[in-house]
Amino acid sequence: MDAHGFALLSAGLAIGLAGIGTGIGVGFLVGKSVEGIARQPEASGAIQGVMLIGIGFTEAIALYALVISFLLIFTTG
Amino acid sequence: MNILEEFFLKVYVPIKFFGIDISITNLVVWMFAATVGVFVVLFLLSRNMKILPNKRQTFVEFIYYFIDKSIIGLAIGRGGEKWMPFLGTIFIFIFANNIIGLIPHSYTPTSNPIVPATLAIVVFFTIHVTNIKRNGITGYLRSFVPRGVPIWMLPLVIPIEIISTIAKPFSLLVRLTANMLAGHIVILVLISLILLFKSYLIAIPVLPFTVIIYIFELFVAGLQAYIFTILSAVYIGEAIHPRH
Repeated sequence: MDAHGFALLSAGLAIGLAGIGTGIGVGFLVGKSVEGIARQPEASGAIQGVMLIGIGFTEAIALYALVISFLLIFTTG
Repeated sequence: MNILEEFFLKVYVPIKFFGIDISITNLVVWMFAATVGVFVVLFLLSRNMKILPNKRQTFVEFIYYFIDKSIIGLAIGRGGEKWMPFLGTIFIFIFANNIIGLIPHSYTPTSNPIVPATLAIVVFFTIHVTNIKRNGITGYLRSFVPRGVPIWMLPLVIPIEIISTIAKPFSLLVRLTANMLAGHIVILVLISLILLFKSYLIAIPVLPFTVIIYIFELFVAGLQAYIFTILSAVYIGEAIHPRH
């Protein structure tokens, strides 16, 4: 396998592994938010706002990996 | 077949201004379209305002209320009213630019790093100038030193604080760009599957799924505008009411 092949492989691994972590993170986040809303429905507005900010932060990690994947694909080979 | 071809800039009118390239590209055309479109819509909707709002005015008031309550009220709180024009502009601009990219064969201005980068740089300087104006130069430098940290830890903590300050606009930029890019690439890849397999049968599962992803993209367009604005508001709130 040449350098470009390794780059493609690592690009796939980068986004895949980041997807695992981010999926677990977002799952926890939304699950706990739903628990919170179920316990205290009157606080749902504030909880949703904080949840969306949290999802934004968590999701960004996967998107960094996506950027790294693009760099690997398009700067080698 | 290059899937990223949709995201390349095409120069329509090359303009050089003192050695700086300010050509009219497809990005510029679609950004102008978004800006003019949102201006026309909001102008027509908010003409001759009344105390008792009719349907058109209710829509504009809903947008204002949304930005005021669930962005500024949540993130800045007290003394946040005067940030309404700035944050409202950012929200509506990003939202219009995200939405216009969903027109088939258009260009999403926010999927090119340069547009979010410009907005992130504006936010970065807004945060720091506000911090210096509100807290003075000592208060500004104080914001890099967290309270309650032992003296011998400071050589480690202060560089981390400085790095996190620089990482804030960078993460704003990457989050918006990558979200827009990734969503559009997913749609493009799904549609390209039909061309790749050269079969009409593959269209039967692909097309409904594409429609679902497209509707999800409408949601993401609003969500990303919201997240960019609320994070800017959180950073501005930290600058106005320093916690340490």
